[in-house]
Amino acid sequence: MHEVSVARELLSAVERHAGDAFARVRSVRVSVGSASGVAPRALEHAFRALSADGAMSAATLEIELVRARSRCFNCGAVFEFDGLIDACPGCGAFGGEILSGVELRLESIEVGDV
Amino acid sequence: MCDNCGCDVPAARIIEVGERLLADNRHAAEHNREHFARSRVIAVNLMGTPGAGKTALLEATISATRGKWRVAVIEGDQATRRDADRIRAVGAPSIQVETGLGCHLDAAQVHHALDHLSLEDADFVFIENVGNLVCPALFDLGEHLRTVVTSTAEGTDKPLKYAPMFRAADIVVLNKTDLLPHVPFDLPQWRGYLRGINPNARVCQTSATTGAGIAEWIVELASMRASHLQPSQRPA
Repeated sequence: MHEVSVARELLSAVERHAGDAFARVRSVRVSVGSASGVAPRALEHAFRALSADGAMSAATLEIELVRARSRCFNCGAVFEFDGLIDACPGCGAFGGEILSGVELRLESIEVGDV
Repeated sequence: MCDNCGCDVPAARIIEVGERLLADNRHAAEHNREHFARSRVIAVNLMGTPGAGKTALLEATISATRGKWRVAVIEGDQATRRDADRIRAVGAPSIQVETGLGCHLDAAQVHHALDHLSLEDADFVFIENVGNLVCPALFDLGEHLRTVVTSTAEGTDKPLKYAPMFRAADIVVLNKTDLLPHVPFDLPQWRGYLRGINPNARVCQTSATTGAGIAEWIVELASMRASHLQPSQRPA
């Protein structure tokens, strides 16, 4: 449910960066780490709901899901996974140091020219 | 008109941004941090499961440190002012934030709450978040310490199931240790799971009901407070 807060901040960031072109935004591209704790479908739903009646009602949200990378705390193997956590393929232990996959970033905004 | 082929679709341009989301929240959190620093107060974000005993832990902490620490509390719940009333009943100033449909506290809500709470007279401000092992993990409130309260009445595998929350913790409090003889909680396994998720988290085992472990939790808070109030003062 926190995706509503994330979507609200996303719209505010788009407005800040697009400036006068806010009403001509066609698409918004964000990257979401799989271990960030943000569910892409919930984020998309919240984005739709919050932008439905405004200047950005026609804009689409493109979410690039970034796979997480982790260093196993048990055997030190570095491995990639989808989701919040996964077992090490080498030793089967759960957990480790997250190297990437917790990012939440507004990457770019596409606006139509006048 | 499009630049490439002259068709009717208007040309578009890309604005490259590359900015982390939740900038507004970070901005408000930064304000809170300045406010805490100015008042020389240590802010503790108390997150955790509903029913883990967050408020009971605060009641025990306030009672055990009476006359030594001045404690203020911001209480976050979806509804009711019951927790703020409980805190006031043990003698500490408290303000309730009712989040309504909100599943977590954000930095702006804490900022507003600080307007109604005098920090000049406080050593610690505890911010009791909405009971929830998911959403609060994502929102910086400007706190010094992130504490997750969980209990032996829950499953042993909670750290694995709610990894982002346990990853975010500086201190993990395992409450309700008085129930250990009566529940199927596997303490060594739980510690192993937690170590895998967050090897750096300090662990406190408490029973807010019997008072067991409260002294160790207070020692932990005191040492965190000392390290935050006297940054890197080394003898020459």
